[in-house]
Amino acid sequence: MTVILDGLKYLAYILIFPGFLFCFLSGMLLCGIDRKLVARMQKRVGPPILQPFYDFFKLLGKETIVPSAANRTVFLLAPLVGLAAQVVLQLFIPIFSFSAFRGVADVIVILYLLLIPALSVILGAAASGSPYAGVGLSREMVTVLAVELPLVLVLLAVAKTVGNAIGSGLCFSLTDIVRYQVRNGSLITRLSMLPAAAAMLLIIPGETGSHPFDAAEAETEICEGMLAEYSGKPLAVYKLSSAVKLLTMTTLFVALFLGGIGGGIDRVLMGGTAGGSIAFLIEIAVLFLLCALLVAVCVSLVHAVTARLRIEQIFKYYWTVVTGLAALSLVMAWYGL
Amino acid sequence: MILVNYLAAFFLITLGLYCIVTKHDLLKSVIGLSIMDYGVNLLIITVGFNPGGTAPIFSFGELNPSSFFVDPIPQALTLTSIVIGACVTAMSLSLVIRLREMYGTTDTREIRRLRG
Amino acid sequence: MTHFPILAIMAYFLGAFLIVIFGRNRGVRNTLGFLATACPLVLMIALVKPVILSGQTIAYWMGGREPAGGYAIGIALEVDALGLFFGLLIATAVFVAMLYSFSYMSHDDNEPQYYTLFLMLCGGVMGLVLSGDLFNMFIMIEILTFAAVALTAFRNTATGALEAAFKYLVVGSIGSSCILAGTIMLYAQAHTLNFAQLAAFLPGHLNRATVIAYALLFIGFCTKAFLVPFHPLAADAHGAAPAPVSVLISGVLTKSGLYGIIRLSYILFRTMNLGTVQFWLVFLGSVSMFVCVTMALAQHDFKRLLAFHSISQIGYVLTAAGLATALGVSSGLYHAMNHTLFKGLLFLCAGAVLHETGTTDLDRLGGLSKKMPQTTVLFLIGAFSISGVPPFNGFASKWLIYQATYQKAVESGNIGFLFATITALVTSTMTLASFVKVTQSVFFGQLPKEYENVKEVSLGMRLAMGILALLCILTGLFPGFVTTYLTEPAARAALGANSYINAMMGSGYAESFGLADTLPVRFVSAGVWSPISWLCVLMIMLLGVCIVAVASRYDQVSALAASEAVPAPAARYGSGSAAEGKYELFYGGEEAVYSQVGGEDLFWGFKHNWRGYFRFMHELHSGIVNDYALWAVVALALAMLYAMVIL
Repeated sequence: MTVILDGLKYLAYILIFPGFLFCFLSGMLLCGIDRKLVARMQKRVGPPILQPFYDFFKLLGKETIVPSAANRTVFLLAPLVGLAAQVVLQLFIPIFSFSAFRGVADVIVILYLLLIPALSVILGAAASGSPYAGVGLSREMVTVLAVELPLVLVLLAVAKTVGNAIGSGLCFSLTDIVRYQVRNGSLITRLSMLPAAAAMLLIIPGETGSHPFDAAEAETEICEGMLAEYSGKPLAVYKLSSAVKLLTMTTLFVALFLGGIGGGIDRVLMGGTAGGSIAFLIEIAVLFLLCALLVAVCVSLVHAVTARLRIEQIFKYYWTVVTGLAALSLVMAWYGL
Repeated sequence: MILVNYLAAFFLITLGLYCIVTKHDLLKSVIGLSIMDYGVNLLIITVGFNPGGTAPIFSFGELNPSSFFVDPIPQALTLTSIVIGACVTAMSLSLVIRLREMYGTTDTREIRRLRG
Repeated sequence: MTHFPILAIMAYFLGAFLIVIFGRNRGVRNTLGFLATACPLVLMIALVKPVILSGQTIAYWMGGREPAGGYAIGIALEVDALGLFFGLLIATAVFVAMLYSFSYMSHDDNEPQYYTLFLMLCGGVMGLVLSGDLFNMFIMIEILTFAAVALTAFRNTATGALEAAFKYLVVGSIGSSCILAGTIMLYAQAHTLNFAQLAAFLPGHLNRATVIAYALLFIGFCTKAFLVPFHPLAADAHGAAPAPVSVLISGVLTKSGLYGIIRLSYILFRTMNLGTVQFWLVFLGSVSMFVCVTMALAQHDFKRLLAFHSISQIGYVLTAAGLATALGVSSGLYHAMNHTLFKGLLFLCAGAVLHETGTTDLDRLGGLSKKMPQTTVLFLIGAFSISGVPPFNGFASKWLIYQATYQKAVESGNIGFLFATITALVTSTMTLASFVKVTQSVFFGQLPKEYENVKEVSLGMRLAMGILALLCILTGLFPGFVTTYLTEPAARAALGANSYINAMMGSGYAESFGLADTLPVRFVSAGVWSPISWLCVLMIMLLGVCIVAVASRYDQVSALAASEAVPAPAARYGSGSAAEGKYELFYGGEEAVYSQVGGEDLFWGFKHNWRGYFRFMHELHSGIVNDYALWAVVALALAMLYAMVIL
């Protein structure tokens, strides 16, 4: 009996919260907020906030075209795998004190799981056989390479800081990192973590491929690059998974640096009459607001005020400025500042 | 006396390496390899040598604690090593012949299709 | 059971000689080859129970000449968990390579000679890892070097085969001479060649002579493992050798070098307690992995690229093995095993491509996934494994390596180890990048006209690749099983040298020299990763997404003829343009203005920033044998100097 109940519970996690449905709704909503904000910053009216949903359903109704040069299986399967991996990744990131699957993956695994959606898109693009996609995937891969080094440093710095604090020297478990923050306050309040947080803020637009780091998609130059041959439903799935990526990256930021807010919520509600479920709903709402705020700051604002960089500029930027910030943080964490 | 042997071994090994590193001719490289090999062989023999010792050939009963002979193991090792050295030379010379046929030269600076 | 080790070695050599005599007939030859590789595999598996599960160490004295009076007279074979671990790896890789050879080599002439050399190489490596005698080890090294050189030059009409063989022979001989010189210096000090006696004698006698011998032996084994600065030889040899031989060179021969380094440092000299030696190994490993992965990014030949990756992965193993912690050694051995599996798979895939198309030039290939769908899937499994994409095996071992290096950094407070972690993580992504390049250039993209008639390779070749792919997946899905039953016992054997000594020389022998095992053996990992549950979640998710997709008739598609969408390049730019082949479409009118999608240029954005480095490396890898010999001599000199100054 308990097995069935557990199974149902995990199925609910996977399909509803924090799995598929939640990812779909909030990812798309974040995407809509981003578009609206960018438009307002540029003094345009902008699309309605629900526009990504409309786009998504419209694309679902369109015909899917597979180029004859393409490897059909990989071409069609890649977006699905990418979406699945993206949503699974979301399941492993704890939301304050709640984590759907603990004991399954740690920070390094997260680092690699982040690669899978990018990799599946790259493979899909390669399978399409289009030279535009070839250019796009080459740039995407370079972007991934560029972002990887600072991201590694950020994660190591966090692992070291939390490890120092809990006495084991290093801590790779994301659940433990968040739990520590719930008990002892957010990491962002520490001096040593400030550069890491800044680096992470700069990593988010690179990882999600938004302006000015969108050389891989550059629609005016290489016809959306990797998406050049995609149409209809696969394109809809791809758009969805890039929307979910927005959610994942911001949630990861919250988990790494702002986890302490959950503790604040707990403390506020602890004396009151609020039950667990209400506290939980509030936590989700707070999480979503934080994510939206992060999107506004590091995606929309940056988008509105910058122009697209060339791919080698992107690489240089990440391996100098952002890596420098992250390395600074790591060194400070290392010497216990 | 034994020091001379060590010095000679060291000198031969260095000479061989010098030859391999600086000479731009396949044959000279092979010669360098051989010289290095001789150096190592000399080293082995010298390690096992006891001044004044007899050959380590005894039948049962002849061997007693006072018998003084050179260490037989390095000699066995040297024999093996010489055989291997001869094989290396033979093999590399056969390669040189084929390389010469194929590239028309034995200059190492021109035999560099694989690089980078 | 005590005879199993010698039987395993002899099976290879016997097979080699029998094939010389009776190998004219294909059926007889293949049967002999199959038996000669299957027997050692069975024997190695039979040894798992006593050696790994019950923790015995099997000592075998040739001709029954057991040690007398605490002095080893005869030649010994000794199998502990470490030796058996490598033995198992070797037997598996060899068996698969043999299966593959049957159809792969069937069009070559001189087939009997090929199998003879093949089995000599296998016998040499097997003899090396099971040997308990230093000089015996040297003989085995010579045998395997010889066989490897001959096999490299086997297709002597192919470009560069002879050249690669000659370079390998010269530098390999320098390495072998180093090993011989080191052996004899140890003999002069300890008056024995037996491992157990040396292991008991040496830790207390680290003087100038033994330390120089250590440096000599170390460099000798480095040449066998092709670590930096010997990596160009690997690239040359792999590029020229037939694919199954590449599997042997990367999966088996480099392992013998690694095994030598581990045996030497952990058991013979026990120098791994010293921070300086740890630094030496970790530094060398990190440099190897980084330099070779960047070299691989610049290649445009399939097999050369794989060869550089091979050394890059060996760098991981050395880095982890240099940590001298239980987790480090265990993760390093885990990666060594994975390296054999995925690298073997990738080389076999490259062989399949070469077999069908006749080239491994990334700039000329393309679109093969439509013609060779199964090879493509197998290649992708190998590529995912080597790039460390979860849940394949490369990820499991790399994950342990990151933890091991970082934990070491935290425990020792030495920030140097942190760079190893970072290098390893970044190298892993670069590996992924270069495999994306291969995938894009070989299997996806436009199919050139000349390969319209390419077919899938024969069943025998696919079977061999399939076995390796299956092992890649299994070892990735059950990391707990692998660490408990394979790598941990091996790590324990590496760290507990006393039991090795006592098994050979009688109990209490090691203790009589005042030796104690000081290194920790147990470990706890700092993170969590359970591939099975992850895979379950992913599968459910994928299933859900697929159901939704199918329900909305996702794959209702219409094909678009490429010829309509993309006008023929010649019609656009005229056939006289400077651009040629696959990337024609992307040349503008002028030669200099083109998009960077070619095999070498795919990651232009990355390479542009590193252009100085790449130019430097390109000039350094000049292809002149004297230069490579010079590197060897410099490495030797540095190693000896370091040993003199530090130890």
